[in-house]
Amino acid sequence: MQSKLSPLAPLVRARRRRPRRGGRPHVIYLAIGFPPAAKSSAYRMRETANQFAARGWDVTVITLADESWEREYGLDHTLSVGVDPRISIVGLPLTRVDLETDLRAFSEARSLRPQQWIDQQRKQELQVFPEPVFGGWRPELEKAVLRVHREHPADLLMTTCAPYVNLAATWRLWDEHRVPYVVDFRDGWSVDVIGGGAAFAENSPAGRWEKRVLAEARAVWCVNEPIAQFYRDRYPALADRVRVVRNGYDEDCVPSTNHRPEPATGLTFGYLGSINFPPALLDSVLTGWRIARREQPLLARSRFEVRGHIGAGALREANAHMELLRAAASDGVEFGGPLPKAEVAAAYGRWDALVLMLVGGRFVTSGKVYEYAASGLPVLSAHEMDHDAATVLAGHPLWTGAVGLDPRRLATSFSEAARLALEATDDERAAARAHALRYARSAQLAPAVAEVTAAITGATATTGQISVGTSTEGGQA
Amino acid sequence: MTNVLIVVGERPQQKSVLLEALRRFRDQGASVGIVGDFPADALTVDVDLADVHPLAATPADPRLRRALARTQQPSRALWLRSWRDPWVRRRVRTADVLVALDSTAIHTVWEMAQRQPRADACNGIGAAGRVVRARHEGTYRPTRGALDEVSARAGIVVRGVRRAAVTGAKESLEAAMAPAVLRSGVGGRLWRSAVSIPGLPERVRVALAYRVHLRSVQSGRPGLAAATTTAAAARMSSRRARADLLTREANGELDLGHVPVCLTEAVAAELALADEFLPKNKVRASRSLHKAMRLLFHRVPHFDQLSSPLAERPAEFLAPLRASTTARALAAPRGRATPAAAPPTGRPLRLLIMTNGNAHFLREIRQRYAETPGVELRYLHLADDPIAGPLTRNPGGIVEHLVAGQSEFGNRVEEWLRPHLDWADTLFVDWCVATAAITTLVDPGNTRVIMRLHSFEAFSFWPHLIDFSRVDDLVFVSEHLRDLTTEVVPALTGARAPRLRVIPNAMDLTGYQRPKDPSARFTLGLIGTSAVAKDPRWAIEVLRRLRATDERYRLLLVGGGLNPDASESVRHYEEALSTDLAELEPSGAVTRIGHVDDVPGVLSGIGSILSSSVRESFHCALVEGAASGAVPVVRDWPFFADRAAGARTLFPADWVVGSQEEAAARIRATTASEEVWRAEGAAAAEYATKTWDWTVVQHDFDELFLPRAGRQE
Repeated sequence: MQSKLSPLAPLVRARRRRPRRGGRPHVIYLAIGFPPAAKSSAYRMRETANQFAARGWDVTVITLADESWEREYGLDHTLSVGVDPRISIVGLPLTRVDLETDLRAFSEARSLRPQQWIDQQRKQELQVFPEPVFGGWRPELEKAVLRVHREHPADLLMTTCAPYVNLAATWRLWDEHRVPYVVDFRDGWSVDVIGGGAAFAENSPAGRWEKRVLAEARAVWCVNEPIAQFYRDRYPALADRVRVVRNGYDEDCVPSTNHRPEPATGLTFGYLGSINFPPALLDSVLTGWRIARREQPLLARSRFEVRGHIGAGALREANAHMELLRAAASDGVEFGGPLPKAEVAAAYGRWDALVLMLVGGRFVTSGKVYEYAASGLPVLSAHEMDHDAATVLAGHPLWTGAVGLDPRRLATSFSEAARLALEATDDERAAARAHALRYARSAQLAPAVAEVTAAITGATATTGQISVGTSTEGGQA
Repeated sequence: MTNVLIVVGERPQQKSVLLEALRRFRDQGASVGIVGDFPADALTVDVDLADVHPLAATPADPRLRRALARTQQPSRALWLRSWRDPWVRRRVRTADVLVALDSTAIHTVWEMAQRQPRADACNGIGAAGRVVRARHEGTYRPTRGALDEVSARAGIVVRGVRRAAVTGAKESLEAAMAPAVLRSGVGGRLWRSAVSIPGLPERVRVALAYRVHLRSVQSGRPGLAAATTTAAAARMSSRRARADLLTREANGELDLGHVPVCLTEAVAAELALADEFLPKNKVRASRSLHKAMRLLFHRVPHFDQLSSPLAERPAEFLAPLRASTTARALAAPRGRATPAAAPPTGRPLRLLIMTNGNAHFLREIRQRYAETPGVELRYLHLADDPIAGPLTRNPGGIVEHLVAGQSEFGNRVEEWLRPHLDWADTLFVDWCVATAAITTLVDPGNTRVIMRLHSFEAFSFWPHLIDFSRVDDLVFVSEHLRDLTTEVVPALTGARAPRLRVIPNAMDLTGYQRPKDPSARFTLGLIGTSAVAKDPRWAIEVLRRLRATDERYRLLLVGGGLNPDASESVRHYEEALSTDLAELEPSGAVTRIGHVDDVPGVLSGIGSILSSSVRESFHCALVEGAASGAVPVVRDWPFFADRAAGARTLFPADWVVGSQEEAAARIRATTASEEVWRAEGAAAAEYATKTWDWTVVQHDFDELFLPRAGRQE
């Protein structure tokens, strides 16, 4: 017998959709990580919601309650300032038990075998939905979506992944009420963005879920062309509905002017972003930094400032990355913790060059590459050579180029970035900013939201940008 | 004042993070104690930051020792040890914040928290930091009440009663696994069926199968052990659980000094796990591979027995490794960006010699090239280097780097080694062990790389961690080691393999020719008895056969003895040897004289020099004995006896014997009279000196290090 939770359960007969309230279309936006969650995905979510609101939609965001984010990367309320006040937010009391740091909340069994307990949890979560960690949230998410729809009938469900368990709630609303939906798949699910290729087979539980949900989607958004192509190849019937919506950058994060380097006191290199790549990558960069300092007096008196979130739960700012950074303090490396969104532009304004540390390869773009490109600063790439960030940076006049992760080659890149920082002219900096203009976040999302609006409401698809009131507001890095 | 107690269950990994947190705690007025299971030197903390209290490595309390023996879980054992410590109890009584620094410490802090309801119990130093800061800033809000305390106390009583019941049940179970039960057909079938009952929880099945397996091995029923494991494994759906069971059993048997009955299955299971991890998590894949390699090349099967499955059937023994995708990723040749440069012409050749092993075999080489015009010599013993030393003690780091292609460990090697590679024209690494492996983690630039493999390395995992595509020349000390190693390590054949050379060990034999006393004629000598592979009991058996007809023969055992703590199989051999010695030493038939510096002096009293080993690469002590004029008697080393090359091809045919009887016969014949004995000895001395003395062998090394084009005559 099939479980009620199985994607293979018989379809419930579709019910008639209720009329709109007050004539305004209503979108339920399933966006786990919406502001004030201090997550890198929050910017894209904020812009998406604002774009819908600006185009005349009632927007109800479903995310987690603020307390839930405390266990992860915490909160940045400056991010919420930029959220259109017309947007309603529903915070669900879902938490990640694996990130619990109060040992009094542990059972004796969990205290004895913490890892096995987590493994057991994972197995149970997978029974509910084939996604570890988040699979167990399925019933609550489904209930929440149905409740919101009951209270205010939706014309569209916009769902953004990860987590992929959102697809279950998306399907449930479609299954029961035939509410059309768009999946903002960002980095995709069945594509292994780190290793390349497929992460799971089409006939696996996750594969069956993905295939079924995407088949009925009005549109599927991805953050770059390689991921989009992966989905076009995997599901040919879906090809004309797959669209690239790059992450882009928020214009308020870009400094209006750059700091003038002072060779006598040394330069300041900066990194801004979540530090969630393998420790070995960070170590290669720090090793390259040390080698460069050994060989170049200018770098020997320079600093490398690292800002962002490190680790979650028990490992928050107490993991292998943190150890590497603390141990590198004598090499001019400073870790300053996360940076509120409102302070991002100022940080770029006082730095001389940026270090772009990224995991993965051609399927990974990241969000920060756009911001880096638009900063007008030299950008040192620390990622694989065949990486989508290289596509974004190709032609950027102050880019050192992708040399891979060999520490000696990275040391050369540090020297090159230092040279660019010292020698870049105002024209070159302006050209660097101009290079990134097309990646402004609103320029990326506005046409996509316009298309969806047109498809659902029949409104003319005005693809031009609409002011959504965030360009001068703060946010979170 | 906030009192913080940090519990550490494993060697602290993030020391800088911990020290930073301790400094913050101090600045926020906290008093910190740290207790845990770590050696005192593993955590150096200023006294103003924390009071550090390592737990006693071996508890004095016999009750505690018994309790620990019954406890399988490290997390529970840490709690038992901590709570018996008065220092810990005092600290818990006053603690406001209890902190588990790692997952092993969680249970201890959890138990402490039941006994100190007032304190916060934090998982991780970061969470503790937030509580300490809140207390310091006055924003702390306690959330526990009196009811929580009552509930905690009641919980302690309930759990105590439950544990007592479980312990009793376990003891009954152990009794049902007594050797007599397992040796009976009914008992064996019963347990084999028990571990394969459908529906048994996996954890219970694993625990039961492990116990039955080990008890069966101890009861002399390896067949039952294997059958039990096969039956249990067939019922297990999780690949990881199956691998864990098999490797745990294998390690249990190795601890008993046995070659595991399911060694191949355990290695294959762990490698399957590695292959499963490989596409998504190369670090975890490398850990499983390292675990498998540690099992495959454990000392018990290869070094602490008189035979080795690797020598007997290398292809079959290494088949799981060959079949593993992860192992193939490890062995993938990375090559070098530029070939080795020709020797310099305008300046001396810079020769760097490195090792982290026994430097004895480098003495003559170092001396010669330190004095050779046109050579600038540097010598590094990595064990003496504060940075390189730890790098040589981390094979797991090497495996991770090779599998993942990038690692922190590799970066440390690059930082340390690069300046040396930049300096050297030629690098010679003696012993194919850690130094050789870390050397090939980095591209050597245009430095010529030469390595030398002696013997034991071929039976270890080290050659499998060396990227031979970055080695120009590999030197063996004998042909039979070359043959075996090339069979074992595929990277030594093919287009990217180094040049393979055979050059005997460097030995200055001139000082060994001293006059021998006539009484030496009946004295057999065996120099070097510190390894099972030297098999001194074989020599004792030869002596017995000689003394059966002539009691004038005696045996001198020279060198340090066996270390019975090395493994149970060494202990078994050592016990048998002690029995032999107890019989023969009182009469003076056997004399042990321990380690001596003056080997030529000792050899002057030895008439026949023995090589009783099951394997040798060259056996310098035998050759030194021959050079002294003692009659060489060489066992046809069994590890190589069936191969094309071995003792019979290394030495003159009449030196080598196929059995103890043949050995006794040769000794009788060559010592039949003083004249015969002296003539045989003189011939052996002449042969040894003309063949292996440094004055002869040094030319091979000149050819190796100073190819004619670059030599300054």
